[in-house]
Order: sequence, then structure tokens, then C-alpha cells
Amino acid sequence: MSTAAIGTHSLSRQLIGGVLLAELLCAALFSAVAIGHEMHGRRRAFDVMLRGRADSLMGAVQDAEDPEDNVIVDPTELVLPAQDVYEVLNPAGRVLGHSPGSSADLLAALRSSHTPGYFNFRAGREYYRALRFDGVRVIDREEHGGYRRTVTVLYASPTRDLWHGAVEAVWFYIAASALLLAVTGIALVWFLRRRLSPLQELAAIAGRVSTRSWEFVPPAVVLRTAELAPIALSIEVLLKGLQQSFESQRQLTGDAAHELKTSIAVLKSSLQLLSMAPRTAEQYEAGLEGLLLDSDRMEELVNRMLMLTRLEEAPVEENESCDLRTVVRAVAERLQPLASLKQVVLEVSRGDARFVSMPPGDADVLCSNLLVNALQSSSPYKHVSVVLQTHDGVTELIVADQGEGIPESALPHVFDRFYRADRSRSRASGGAGLGLSICKAIVERSGGTIQIQSDIGKGTEVTVTLLALPTPDRRATDSPPASPA
Amino acid sequence: MRVLIVEDEARLANNIAEALRERCGYAVDRAGNGTDGAALTEFKHYDLLLLDLMLPGMDGLSIVRQVRRRKDMTPILILTARDQPAQVVELLNAGADDYLTKPFDLGELLARAKALIRRGKGASQPELTVGRISLNTVEQTVRCAGELIDLSPTEYRLLEYLIFRPRAIVSARELLEHLYDYNWQHHSNVIEAHVSNLRKKLRTVGEETTIATLRGRGYRLEAPEQQP
Repeated sequence: MSTAAIGTHSLSRQLIGGVLLAELLCAALFSAVAIGHEMHGRRRAFDVMLRGRADSLMGAVQDAEDPEDNVIVDPTELVLPAQDVYEVLNPAGRVLGHSPGSSADLLAALRSSHTPGYFNFRAGREYYRALRFDGVRVIDREEHGGYRRTVTVLYASPTRDLWHGAVEAVWFYIAASALLLAVTGIALVWFLRRRLSPLQELAAIAGRVSTRSWEFVPPAVVLRTAELAPIALSIEVLLKGLQQSFESQRQLTGDAAHELKTSIAVLKSSLQLLSMAPRTAEQYEAGLEGLLLDSDRMEELVNRMLMLTRLEEAPVEENESCDLRTVVRAVAERLQPLASLKQVVLEVSRGDARFVSMPPGDADVLCSNLLVNALQSSSPYKHVSVVLQTHDGVTELIVADQGEGIPESALPHVFDRFYRADRSRSRASGGAGLGLSICKAIVERSGGTIQIQSDIGKGTEVTVTLLALPTPDRRATDSPPASPA
Repeated sequence: MRVLIVEDEARLANNIAEALRERCGYAVDRAGNGTDGAALTEFKHYDLLLLDLMLPGMDGLSIVRQVRRRKDMTPILILTARDQPAQVVELLNAGADDYLTKPFDLGELLARAKALIRRGKGASQPELTVGRISLNTVEQTVRCAGELIDLSPTEYRLLEYLIFRPRAIVSARELLEHLYDYNWQHHSNVIEAHVSNLRKKLRTVGEETTIATLRGRGYRLEAPEQQP
């Protein structure tokens, strides 16, 4: 994600937008239905009104009191709106009467329909709805049982008012919807602000975390929120892991600095002691010898630290393998003088195990570290045994001694860097607490495991488990791997 | 003066001990771990404790706390490879008097050791005077009215120990404990012989200040009453 895009998408804005859009659609749909319904009702009412006015017009048809027994329309008693148009025809098509103020064009337009029923027409700029019906008017019912006169009534009224009312209704619906939208929009913003405050709190607390202050305690309100609790908890777990690795890194740097500073302090104090007073040639010689040993130890320490870094950084290369049996034999042979010096019996068992996927150099370091550790913790006449075996596709390298053992409290830490179960002794034997860490790094780099078990007074046993490789061809197995003597 | 060094790095402890013996004339004992070191402090033989902070057995800070809990006022100088301010504050608050970070300058360590011992005995200057005698702890020389008196190292150490507490009675046992390390075979008549030699040398230069022997109680450095 580019930095420019940070924070441009707002969930709450999208949410509010979505809700308002849905509301708008609802309001539009509702308004459309309501308007349709309204229009239908108004039209029906209009039709009923037209019919009523036409009926009252029918009532105004009277005997003309002339010899042909004609009828006329007498509108004097009628109260009809002035803008309405009407015409009454007899079956012969003669006009019996019409609205007084109407123009001939308008009346002609009204007469254009010849089927009974409702119809619409336009005259000039005005729209009309009209009704044509044939009715029977009984005149002078009292005299001769009455004359039955059939007349056709055409009655029209401009729809302007009808539309006017409809437009008003539409405006009402639109205004009501807009008001509703505005109110719910504001309420939604307020509500979301309020409801999303745990999210902001979480962000604020997470923002306060740094490499100096790891404290991250999600507030109760965040933990109560179903959507936020998993985020908060995973942040917590992540931070704990990070803090641990940070602390262990810091501890490691501190330990490395401690070891190096101590080594330098030894060198420096030795030099200063030597130069504090005039010395004899023998004293200088002895001093220089000591200094050489000190610098050797420091070199060893730096080498081991660098080796550990290299092991932990670079993964093992594909198809790098070695013959573990050859390596074990070579290392045992090399360490035989040390075993003789300490009067310890070094036994290497004949094993069937051979090839493992480990660079030969690493295997050499692994075996010599384990063997030197075992030899150094052994007292005279004790045995150190190396067993190499393969079963179920795994190769085991077991180095066991009969030394004084490691206290149970120290066992979980023996693979920690710079850890020394007995610092004074290890210092005396030149270790910096890195040997087993290097072993562990080598084994893990090759995908294996290393385990240690120890009984006080009985001895210590280190077991390295590696994946066994099939033996290549005969000739390859006979040639020993390049050993970094 | 007798100093205890508690340091697990043997070569470093050895160098410091050599320097303290050679340059300051102190008796020095060494402990390679915290437990032994803490046990040695209980004898209260020491005029200065030099402690490493990271020690097997018991760390330096715990030793400081244990010593101070006993109301032991012995000056304590801490050697540490870590110098985070918080740790220094904790150390000083626990009762340590000073600290040096590794790698340190051996000369500085000796100067600080001397200053701490001097302060511990209530003196603020490296030169101490009784009567006409003045003893310079830096040069390790003794003068009488400006004239150098030739003393053996043991005689110098004896006088140095006594001159910090003029007119006080110091037992032969205390002198033994503070002038020799534990490798020394203790014979109280050794002290008597050295005191006697010292007395003679002072008398030779015509100094009236002398070391009186109080039978069964010890020795006392006595200066003549100052003329008004």
C-alpha cells in the first residue's frame, strides 16, 4: 500500500453512504407507489365529481314548453364551476344547451368523442377530462305519466386542478423523504461516532506501543465488542511475541558486549600491569605469553559469535550432505590427545548410520563441540561414548559422558547463548557459553533436533536426531568428506 | 590494608591483585564466585571490597545488600561490563560506593581504591600527618620534617594502617588481619618484630612520635603534645 492511499477509505463514511442510499431508494420507491395510489384515488374522485356534475346537469333538462315538446337545458338553477364545459344533445344531435362561456372550438373538441364513457382531450393549452353518457329524462311526470326524453350529456372539467393537487402531494412526499434522510443521516453519524469509539480507542492504544514501551492493554469495551476482540487479542499476542524476541535480542547484545568487554578488560589490565614498573626480561616474556593466550581466547570468542550469526542467517544449501561416520571418526582421532591428557576413555561405536544432509564443516564443528564438552566435564578414568545409529529413516548421534551432570534448573538454558551452568569452571576451560548454542543452530539449520538429558553424578547425554539420507554409490562413501582439520 | 576481589574472570582478578600488591602495598584476597566472596566478607578483615557484578553463585548486587544489611561500612567498588544508568543507580542505592565499567584503566582503579580506603577511614587527602611525620599514600613514602625515612614495605603498611587512627589502640590481631592475605601463616610475633623495627627507625631520625605497646591490648601511635 502506498502512503498516499492511507486513510482515504472510511468505513463509517461508506456505511453512512450505503445506509443513506438505501434509504433514498426506499423513499423513492415509497413515494412512487404513494403518488401512484394518490393519483388513482384523485382520478376516481374526479370521475365521480364529473359524474355528479353531469347528473345535476341532467336534472336541469326541462320541458321547453313549445309545441314540439322539445326539451331545453335551464342552467339558471345550476351552480357549476365556470371553467367547466358541458353540452347536452338530443338523439338527433341537436344541441339542447351548453355551458355559457365556452368557445365554439372548445365545444367542438368536447363533441369529438362519440362513445359513452370517460375520455381526455386538449383544447388550446388546457387539458380536460370529460364524460359522455346517454340518459333518459322524464318530464312532466304528474300530467301524463311523463314524457321520456333521451339526451346525451357531455361534461368536461379541466384537469389543471387535479394535477395541481397531485404535484402538491408529490412535493409533500419528496420533502418528507428529504427531511427523513437528513434526520437519519445526522443520527447515523452521531450513532456511528459513538459506536465506533472503541475502534478509535484501540487504534490510540496500539499507537502508543513502541520498542521502549510494550504495554498494550485493550480496554474492556474493546474486548466486549465481538468484532474488535479478535483483533485486540491477536495484536496482544503479536506484541508479546515481538517483545520477547526484542528482549532476547537485547539480552543477547548485552551478553555479547559483556563477554567482549571482559576480554578487553583482561587484555588491557595485563598490558597496564606490565607497563606499571620496569620488569625483567623473564617477566615481560611471561606477560607476553599470557597476553597471547588472552588474545587467542578473544579471537575464539569472536569467531564463535560470527559463526553463530552465519548459521542463523544463511539457510543450508540444497543437496549438501556428509558422511557422519567419517566425520565422527576424524574428530575422535583429533581429540584423542585431549582425552589422553585428561585420562578419559573415548569410545566410538561402530554404527550403520552414514549420510545426513549437513555440510561437512558444520558436522565437524558439531561433533567436536559435543566431544570437547563431554571430555571436559569428565574426570580421569571415566568414559565418553559416541554412538551413531539409524532407524526408521532417522540418524541419531548420541554423545554420553560420565561427568558430574548438569543441575535440573540449568538444563532448559544450556542451549541459550552465553549461558554457563557453572561459569567459573567454563571460564577456566575457555568456553564463553556458545558451544551448545552453535550445536543447536547447526542441527536446526539441517532440519534436525538436539536434546540433552542429565543426571547429577551420573553424567550427561546429548542426542542429535537428523533425517537419514540414502547411501549414494559405493565409491562416494569411501572417500572421506573434506574435513576442516 | 587488605582488599577482597570477587571476580570470576581469573586473569582479570590476577592482574588487579598484582597491581594492588605491587603499587599500593595492599594484601589481597580473591574469590572466584559470589558465594565464596560473600562468605569472606563476613570476617570483616577488609578495608575495601572489589566486586564484579555478574558472578556465578551470587551476583555482586546481592553481596552489596548482604554486606550493608550487617551494617558493615567497608567501602565497595563495583566492576561492571554494563553501564546502563538504571543499573548504576540501583547499585549505588543498594550501598555501593563507586563503580568502574570494564574495560577500565588499571591506574584509575588503583586511584579509586586508594581514595575509597582513605575516605572509609575518614581522611580526604592522600597525605596523612602525625607530629612531624607525614605519610604520602600515593607515593608510598614517609617523611620526618621533610626528610625521607627508608621503610620496608611491611613497615610502611603498618604505619599506614596506624596513622589513619592516631592515638587509638589497635590490636595485634587486627593488624594481622588487615595487613596480610589469607595465604600468610599468621604469627603474632611477626607484628611485634615489625613494630620494633619501625620504632627504631623513627627514633633514629629523632622523631618523638612512637608506637607504644600496651601489653595484652595492642599498639598505639602516640604523638607528643603539640607545642602551643
